[in-house]
Amino acid sequence: MSIKVDPNLMKDLRHFGLKDADKCMHCGNCTAVCPLSTEDNPFPRKLIKYAHMGLADKILKSPEPWLCYYCGDCSDNCPRGAEPGEAMMAMRRYLTSKYDWTGFARKFYTSETFEIIAVAIVAIFVGLALMLFHAGSPNMEHAHLNSVWPASAIEIADLIMAAILTFLLLSNTYRCARFQMGDLLFKIPLGIYIRQAKELVIHFLTQKRFSECTDKMQWLVHLLIMTGYSTVFLLVAVFLAGGLEVIGLAWEPIAFQRDVIYPIYHPMRLLGYYATFAIFYGTTYAMIGRIRKKKAPYKNSHGTDWMFLILLQLTTLTGILIHFTRLLDWPMPTYTLYVIHLMVAVPMLVLEVPFAKWAHLAFRPVTIFLIKVREAYQKEMQTFA
Amino acid sequence: MEKKIAVYICTGCGIGDALDIEQLGKIATDENSIPICQKHSNLCGQEGVDLIKKDITDNGVNTIVITACSHRVMYDAFNFDNCIVDRVNVREQVVWCQKPGEEDTQMMAEDYLRMGIAKVKAMQLPEPFKPEEEISRDILVVGGGLTGMTSALEASKAGYSVVLVEKEAELGGFQKNVKEIATAPYKDIQDNDIKNLIDAVTNNTKIKVYTGATVERTSGSPGIFKTVIKQNGSNAEHRVGAIVLAAGWKPYDPTKLNKRLGFGESPNVITNVMFEESYKEGRITRPSDGKDVANIAFLQCAGSRDPKHLPYCSAVCCITALKQAIRVKRQNADANVYMVYKELRTPGQSEDIYRKAQEEGVIFIRCQDPEVKTGEGLTVEANDELLGETVIMEDLDMVVLATGMVPVSAFGKDITQETKEEGEKKDGEELEVPLDVIRRSNLLNLEYRQGPELPALSNDFPDSHFICFPYESRRTGIYPAGCVRRPMGISTATGDATGAVMKAIQCIELTARGAAVHPRAGDMTYPEFNMSRCTQCKRCTVECPFGAINEDEKANPLPQPTRCRRCGVCMGACPERIISFKNYSVPMIGDMIKSIGVPEEDEEKPRILVLACENDAYPALDMAGLHRMQYNAWVRVIPLRCLGSMNLVWIADTLSKGIDGVLLLGCKHGDDYQCHFIKGSELASIRLSKVSETLNRLALESERVRFETVSITDYDRLPALLDEFAAAIDEVGPNPFKGW
Repeated sequence: MSIKVDPNLMKDLRHFGLKDADKCMHCGNCTAVCPLSTEDNPFPRKLIKYAHMGLADKILKSPEPWLCYYCGDCSDNCPRGAEPGEAMMAMRRYLTSKYDWTGFARKFYTSETFEIIAVAIVAIFVGLALMLFHAGSPNMEHAHLNSVWPASAIEIADLIMAAILTFLLLSNTYRCARFQMGDLLFKIPLGIYIRQAKELVIHFLTQKRFSECTDKMQWLVHLLIMTGYSTVFLLVAVFLAGGLEVIGLAWEPIAFQRDVIYPIYHPMRLLGYYATFAIFYGTTYAMIGRIRKKKAPYKNSHGTDWMFLILLQLTTLTGILIHFTRLLDWPMPTYTLYVIHLMVAVPMLVLEVPFAKWAHLAFRPVTIFLIKVREAYQKEMQTFA
Repeated sequence: MEKKIAVYICTGCGIGDALDIEQLGKIATDENSIPICQKHSNLCGQEGVDLIKKDITDNGVNTIVITACSHRVMYDAFNFDNCIVDRVNVREQVVWCQKPGEEDTQMMAEDYLRMGIAKVKAMQLPEPFKPEEEISRDILVVGGGLTGMTSALEASKAGYSVVLVEKEAELGGFQKNVKEIATAPYKDIQDNDIKNLIDAVTNNTKIKVYTGATVERTSGSPGIFKTVIKQNGSNAEHRVGAIVLAAGWKPYDPTKLNKRLGFGESPNVITNVMFEESYKEGRITRPSDGKDVANIAFLQCAGSRDPKHLPYCSAVCCITALKQAIRVKRQNADANVYMVYKELRTPGQSEDIYRKAQEEGVIFIRCQDPEVKTGEGLTVEANDELLGETVIMEDLDMVVLATGMVPVSAFGKDITQETKEEGEKKDGEELEVPLDVIRRSNLLNLEYRQGPELPALSNDFPDSHFICFPYESRRTGIYPAGCVRRPMGISTATGDATGAVMKAIQCIELTARGAAVHPRAGDMTYPEFNMSRCTQCKRCTVECPFGAINEDEKANPLPQPTRCRRCGVCMGACPERIISFKNYSVPMIGDMIKSIGVPEEDEEKPRILVLACENDAYPALDMAGLHRMQYNAWVRVIPLRCLGSMNLVWIADTLSKGIDGVLLLGCKHGDDYQCHFIKGSELASIRLSKVSETLNRLALESERVRFETVSITDYDRLPALLDEFAAAIDEVGPNPFKGW
């Protein structure tokens, strides 16, 4: 098949943070040093060639951007300073916007103004909603959050939000799989998908591929942020009401964020502490890294990278402060901080999970899963033939 | 001159420990009755040198044999005016490579001293050659392009007058049609300032410029060239000392290109040279309708690095194409500019112009064999090797083919073909010496016996060994520079121009002193012909690698000593042995061979004569000694100026004396030759093919004579080579002529 060259893709990719890829002379050092690049899925050089030639279709079909964890070895070893790692990062942003059928992600990534306004609007909306809808008689003597916003109401709002986000994320993930697999997605028998499902779980939980990179610190930091975030996500989404109370699945003793102060060894409290530490350490490390710009993955920062870290860290900081005001039993500061906390946390979830950086938590393990599925399928076909 | 010989033996550097010096001295005093034989522990030091100088002033010593280190070192210490000096190398080639205190080692040193004494007895003091006419110090520069003009200016800066001949009506060469250039430091494209160079040359009083002129005739030799310049039908005559040939290049004829490249099929398929012409006018537009260019493809290596067209890389096309691509991008930043290349060659700093083009957004496609389609719209199809797929570039406004450079010396008929056509059959007895390609390219019109222009090395470039001898040609005093020598860009050509002028100045100054030029710079000897015994066989005139010998109607050789490089090829070629140098001759080497002591057969000490080229093989032997590598004790080495000066009679002399084998160590020949005199070792090997006759006459085995090529870096394999040859000789058995 012949290919038509499109010089405009490079210009487009620049909006997604591509900066130095035009310096690439295709020596292939990046692919050679990459501990994750394989013969079947070589990168990053191939992808940079696609970018140079403007082969958007090929990039769309490529799983490789999601196989890269941006440890920075390629950029450190590039003789031309073409920052191949950053090119892969830009392609992940580009792909996220391509997977998103609403077109929102593209706007979010390509315009910083749009990004800030979107965050601000959601934050204001959340703030206003919390101030307008609250229980009639808040407890002003003791810091009892549930007296202002009953747990069940928050949970319902939580679940509505979760449903919308899940729908958006899953539909985008489906498009991700469809682009990568084409018609093969349906041709492969379901059994193979089921048999390979453990890969999806393993890679989601451990990111073990990342541990193969030279710089283990990046993997550790990434793992901290991911597990911390997932823990909080679980606590909020599942344990806020002690389980899924609406469907009758709940156990009060393990409910999260109750006005009762749990003893220090209580699992909910310990989980909360772990998540707080993990996210706080991880985001601080990343932010310092991005300011110092010494490590390759932190050299170039897109607007969305900063937004992501700032929202995550603000969520954590406000969470820590609420914890103390509750312990000190200061009602008004607790309520105010809680509003701010949600004004930060909700935009982060609503905007980042389906449309931006958080989406990769789905795309990456799914891509690895699909590669395993494809391999298993091809192996099966071979033995069959 | 009455010779008064003195022998000096140095005992330093381990010589005194390894040899019996008293015994060695007796070779001089007893065997050769030389009254003065002095020993010193540090002969090259001031005290040692003063010892020799004292003998020169007090005792009238004028012929000195220094038995110490190699002649390749300490030559400045052992430099005595008006004295015949020979160096007997008992350090590198005896004590450093043989077992100390052994009988064989002592015998070797004694033989070398005998050979040294025999040599000085046959040597004479050189008398520098002075031509009858006065030496001219002017320089002729042929070609008024960038290289020629730079040469002229550089020569004038050094104080030499220049005659500059340009065949076009104006100075400037190809560069006068170039608006912008990409040259050092290659950070960006620059305005061409050739105008300033033209003005500088035109206004320089030391440079006499002829435009619209050609060199009608060049006769004579370095220092005394006579040149006739034809301009507007009238002739001007100039005497010059040396010549710089900067005649330039022509683009490869695009009509000869493969049809796949589409030249001639569409007016929008042009060459890089045509692009330069059009962009001189201002905007870059489509040739068919004058529309501004929005889509353009540059195809590199159009006919270059292709054995069917130009087998070489022209070195500038990539940089030129990058410049042109950047220019298109500057005219229209949205233009789609594709560059299809085999390998993009931007050596050194020129890589920066490639980076610039990348920055500007030029799209690079690596493809060995692109195809231009000129049907509906202009399209290029290229199999991208980095992608592994075929890429199509559609709706192109222009395709620019990078054609290479052809030296102007490549045009005109090859004279070796002419003689063949004339049916001039060679004498069956004569040796078949391969002739150089010389084309009637109308550049210098030399009145040389061997042809009117410079001989080509490869691909019609009149170059010499490009690493060892830049700017040298095979005609002494004529130095090619710029794109006629090899394809090059502006910065290299500027350096070339300066280098060639430097060579021209060296040539003039050395010739004025009566000395040889590179590689025997400073040698005061020159070949002398005993004409009364000449048989007009033409071998010397045919074989001289430098065309230094003309001939008259009766085929008598007419040597032109200032053209001579003193290699001695003529001396080796002459069957009558009538050619000799004051300090290098057939009888001299013969005497050295004859002075070697040959032990009786029952002593089981065979002898091997090594005739070693003094440019590579001899230093390699020195290096083996320097590394203290031990080798066979039977060898006796005689350095030759060039293996081409080897006369077959020496082999007869050697074998009839009872020496068991002869090993010839010469340089690599062929296309990537290393011979300092281009063809010397090749000629030696051709002559050697005739040696079996001599051996048959003596009823000897042909294994006794062997030819090997070695370069200076082969020193580490020399001991094994010598040992292996010695074993082979041992196998053949002793020479039956021993003791005759």
